[in-house]
Amino acid sequence: MASPKRIGKIEFGLLSPKEIRTMSVRKIIWADTYDDDGFPYPQGLMDLNLGVIDPGLRCKTCDQKASECPGHFGHIELAKPVIHVGYTRLIRKLLRVTCRGCSRLLLSPEEIVKVIGTEEEATGDILSEKDIKKERVCPHCGEQQLKINFEKPTTFSEVMVEEGRKIEHKLTPADIRARLEKIPDDDLRHLGINPTVARPEWTILTVLPVPPVTMRPSIILENGQRSEDDLTHKLVDIIRINQRFKENQDAGAPQLIIEDLWELLQYHVTTYLDNEVAGCPPARHRSGRPLKTLSQRLKGKDGRFRGSLSGKRVNFSARTVISPDPNLSVIEVGIPLAVANEMSVPVHVTPYNIEELRQMTLNGPVRASLDDPCGANYVIRPDKRRLRLAEGNLETVAEMLEPGYIVERQIRNGDIVLFNRQPSLHRMSIMAHRVRVMDGRTFRLNPAVCPPYNADFDGDEMNLHIPQTEEARAEAAILCSVEENILSPRFGGPIIGGIHDHVSGIFMLTNQVRWFSKEDALYLLKHVKMEHLPAPGRVENDVPMWSNKQIFSLVLPPELNMVFKASSCENCDICKKDLCERDAYVRIIDGILECGTIDKKAIGAFDGQIVHRIIRQCGMKRAAEFIDDITHLSIRAIMMDGFSFGIDDEDLSKTEYGQIDEVLSTALLDVQRRIRIYEDGQLEPMPGRTPEETLEMQIMQVLGKARDRTGEIAGRHLGLGNSAVVMAVSGARGSMLNLTQMAGCVGQQSVRGERIMRGYDDRTLPHFKKNDRGADAHGFITHSYKGGLNPTEFFFHAIGGREGLVDTAVRTSQSGYLQRRMINALQDLKVAYDGTVRTTGGRIIQFRYGEDGTDPMKSSFGDPVDVKGIVESVLKEEV
Amino acid sequence: MELGTIEVKKPLVREADGSQGDLFPSEARLRNLTYAAPIHLGLTLAQGDDRQEPVVTTIGQLPIMVGSVSCNLYGMSDDDRVIHGEDPLDPGGYFIVNGTERVLMTLEDLASNKIMTEYTERYNERIYVAKVFSQYRGYRALVVVERNRKNLLEVSFPSVAGHLKFVDLMRALGMVSDHDVVNAVSTDEDILTYMMQNLEESDCDSLEAGIMYVGKKLAPNQTRDYQRKRAEFVLDNYLLPHLNYLMPPGLKEGDEGYREAVEGVRLAKAHFLGRMAEACFDLVLNKRRIDDKDHYSNKRLKLAGDLMEDLFRISLNRLTRDIKYQLERASMRHRDLSIGTAVRADVLTERLLHPLATGNWVGGRTGVSQLLDRVDHMSVLSHLRRVISPLSRSQPHFEARDLHPTQWGRICPSETPEGPNCGLVKNFAQMVEISRGVPDEEEVVRMLYNLGVEHIKGDI
Repeated sequence: MASPKRIGKIEFGLLSPKEIRTMSVRKIIWADTYDDDGFPYPQGLMDLNLGVIDPGLRCKTCDQKASECPGHFGHIELAKPVIHVGYTRLIRKLLRVTCRGCSRLLLSPEEIVKVIGTEEEATGDILSEKDIKKERVCPHCGEQQLKINFEKPTTFSEVMVEEGRKIEHKLTPADIRARLEKIPDDDLRHLGINPTVARPEWTILTVLPVPPVTMRPSIILENGQRSEDDLTHKLVDIIRINQRFKENQDAGAPQLIIEDLWELLQYHVTTYLDNEVAGCPPARHRSGRPLKTLSQRLKGKDGRFRGSLSGKRVNFSARTVISPDPNLSVIEVGIPLAVANEMSVPVHVTPYNIEELRQMTLNGPVRASLDDPCGANYVIRPDKRRLRLAEGNLETVAEMLEPGYIVERQIRNGDIVLFNRQPSLHRMSIMAHRVRVMDGRTFRLNPAVCPPYNADFDGDEMNLHIPQTEEARAEAAILCSVEENILSPRFGGPIIGGIHDHVSGIFMLTNQVRWFSKEDALYLLKHVKMEHLPAPGRVENDVPMWSNKQIFSLVLPPELNMVFKASSCENCDICKKDLCERDAYVRIIDGILECGTIDKKAIGAFDGQIVHRIIRQCGMKRAAEFIDDITHLSIRAIMMDGFSFGIDDEDLSKTEYGQIDEVLSTALLDVQRRIRIYEDGQLEPMPGRTPEETLEMQIMQVLGKARDRTGEIAGRHLGLGNSAVVMAVSGARGSMLNLTQMAGCVGQQSVRGERIMRGYDDRTLPHFKKNDRGADAHGFITHSYKGGLNPTEFFFHAIGGREGLVDTAVRTSQSGYLQRRMINALQDLKVAYDGTVRTTGGRIIQFRYGEDGTDPMKSSFGDPVDVKGIVESVLKEEV
Repeated sequence: MELGTIEVKKPLVREADGSQGDLFPSEARLRNLTYAAPIHLGLTLAQGDDRQEPVVTTIGQLPIMVGSVSCNLYGMSDDDRVIHGEDPLDPGGYFIVNGTERVLMTLEDLASNKIMTEYTERYNERIYVAKVFSQYRGYRALVVVERNRKNLLEVSFPSVAGHLKFVDLMRALGMVSDHDVVNAVSTDEDILTYMMQNLEESDCDSLEAGIMYVGKKLAPNQTRDYQRKRAEFVLDNYLLPHLNYLMPPGLKEGDEGYREAVEGVRLAKAHFLGRMAEACFDLVLNKRRIDDKDHYSNKRLKLAGDLMEDLFRISLNRLTRDIKYQLERASMRHRDLSIGTAVRADVLTERLLHPLATGNWVGGRTGVSQLLDRVDHMSVLSHLRRVISPLSRSQPHFEARDLHPTQWGRICPSETPEGPNCGLVKNFAQMVEISRGVPDEEEVVRMLYNLGVEHIKGDI
């Protein structure tokens, strides 16, 4: 293998005509491509010296076949020089800063020193157009300077003032070239141009390089017709006009015709280089489609850089719909048999595995069921020939196998694969999973890994990639595996954890104290990795019983000690700790849950405290096992009781409805009263606010409070027997606000933080009186979703809902663009060995990474050291 | 060449053997035909003074909306529809072009010919503006009257670089005396003082001076004659073109009463500008609020008929130009002039069909015609009742996307796409009714006078 080379520096410059001629292998003079027999014309655009694209022919320059020959440049001698469109701004600048007579900088040496400094003390600046005053006299030869006009795309002219009238005199490319040639090298250095690699006259083309045919291959259509590449078409135009130009020039054609042809040649060369120049009609194909010329090949999303170099299409990948499977481990991914059969891993044949691989080869490409051992799709011989395995050749190929061969084996259980969901916004969007080949046609994943991918199962599709080398597999397993990514480098907490039913289930299991018979206990623990049940917590009539907390403790590592408050904690002024009536005070001592309810705070994605502590204490692998256990246990727990939610779960009793009505009517009366105060002019405005604003704020406040009161009334009635309350309290899904809106009162609808004010003159809807400031006229909904909204309420609700829709739509597009810009700005930063964050150029961005030198992934929710956790685990009590 | 009466026939199909027969939508769909009817136009060739006999020729094919009056299904019973291969529940309202069903989307636009006021912020200063989109026969021009820092009114409209002084423009339009100018704006005391400032700044005192002021702005460094001509042309054609409806139709330059008619229209334009100025000052004096652009009374809907009208106007213009060119060519070669060869029917048909087939309407609007969504019956109904807004979807436009209370009963509050088009693409409410202006304008005018409206002083 060739040793890697270090690039010292890169220099950018212009191609000089000399260089173009040296690298050219052939002068091109004929516009034709192929003769009647389909053979390339010598000195034509498809000359065999430029490389070959037809199989069977050999390149006349390097004598290689079509597949090996890289292609070679040719050149066209232009009849007269033309301007390169890419450099018009540079040309304009140079014309404006140099003398029209002697071509020297329009500055005296003293003036130059002012800008760039002396030789010893350079300011680092270079001269720009602004440093030269307009229309002055050359300090070197005394020539009066004229204004240079530039007209897009490529026209330069001088403006002369004669008898009070302005006369524009056009500069031909030849004139410009003559001027640029005379600019001394030293002056160029002052302008930031290195004359050894980029003489300014090289921006005016006298000879045009012809790219090799391999860069512009012609394709043969089904009807046998040749269709040329856009670049070839353009080159044909250039050669044709160039030829005509030369003939006319030799024949001594009138100046007018010469000028026209010159302009036409300029147009063709311009569009050849860039077909989207402003002020220049794009060259079109016969069908009317604009041609894709050089700069179009490079530019934009599908251009060479963004489309072919930064990103390309990839082999060994699969994509299909995803669906959940709670029985899988979080580190696994279920793969359909059809995918596993199609995809392969290359395995080198060695004396140690030859028998195994021979058997796989014999198994062939068809694996009919999950139970069958995996087969192989291809065998690669040491001479790199690829043999496709098919029904007929299995035995022969298997016989041939010997060390040095490579067998492309099908995917089987336990293989490492990369799993990805777009948009890949953070590194957890691509994680390595272990394969589990399954029936069906979808990828299966444990719902606990949905949060890092931000996946759901409403039709999402995901991609799968198979690493092909040992190095790739090792990197995937060590860096990208799910275990390694439970902690998010964003905030140092776990991003994988229980969601939805996991949280509801574990909440229902661990809330308060429940006792289970041996049968039930074993049912719950069926999929949990444990060997023995502990001693029963209680024996009732000779029947051993286990408490819910005992059962949960079985999945905890025995060395765990922690104390925290569950998400059902109400933050009372004085915490009753163990005696909390909500059982929200969690204490785990030596891996035994002594009191408290396990819910979102403990095991949920984004804030699972127990998961977090297990990672810190026992490592990532144990944490992944814990998540597996917790998901299996919670699913069993939720299935034992059953969990559903229906319309009658929002029912309240008569007393509650009465109370809600009362709360709302007093609130409405309060609003009326405040409006009256305002209308009487008695309202004391709050500091910095007008009376109107004050009134609005007061109304919003009163109505908001009223809605919350109805929620409390509803919540009091519903209690933990209600599924919605369980979900809200445990943090699984929804909130008490959602419940309030369903059972109590939907509340105030708002647009951009204000009550709904727009609409007809002086009122929102014609259903209300003009200038009505009341609650219902501005979008307060007194009814609940269960009770049903009246038409105006429904409409206000639609107004409020629309705002949310618009917000999400606008935000996603804006944040995507913001992210792209961020990535482009930050992608090359790295932490150097001295701990500073630097750009590739070595400039320091931060003296310490993140200003505190902390790796957020190894921090505890942002803090470098988890003092509380360490003390708790040592003292085994709360601090 | 003179154009006579025009007539649209019923949809026809012409077979390869030259025979013709009635075309029904289902056949058009199945055979990838265009559901279109021939247009017959009476043409008279006039060469010098001798006029030939009028000839009725087919000038092209007009795509026919399924279920419209010109449609072969019109007035058919359900059973007859079934016999002709049509679903009796099909709502119609779309076109069939080359066998594909195409819906012309309803476009929602800001109301034209209505004075709207707003603020714009410029150099940290509030500028008060009265705007009007004046529209006449497909030509749309934005006329702006704004009040600058010194309380001076400036008017700008297309073809004028920069702006014109209000009072001088009024003079050019024939409102010469200071008294008339002020009266055309308002009789309000506060506005009066503003107007005095404006009058002081004026350089002109006669109609002639006014026109020359405009001419100088429009064509500087040109001869006086040309300036005057240019000024009059611009005032008549580009300033508030919607008031040109006051011109009696068919009156040509040089006809009797032409001069008076033109002057009448100019005076009407002056009065309209006066109203704009008043609106602008009212806004300054807080007597008027800025207009809510999302208020549905400030919106107008462009339905298939309006769109076809735009398309047909331009296409017919092209056809006449083509006929003229063909005749000139024939005449140059000293051939006998005949209408049959001069009218190339394909010119019009092609111009009518191509926008319908691609959705690229005249005026550069794209997506105007869409392939009818036939996923199910409901999606068909929804598609036919869709309204699209010309606002760009890449900008936030929060206010335009909001559901506006004035959309009650007109636009469905619930049905709008999620994503970038949210709130810009709308759907009609179930009970929506679209009014189409007033059938008898005289009647309205009479009623207004009866209610005590006074005629503007001066002769219009």
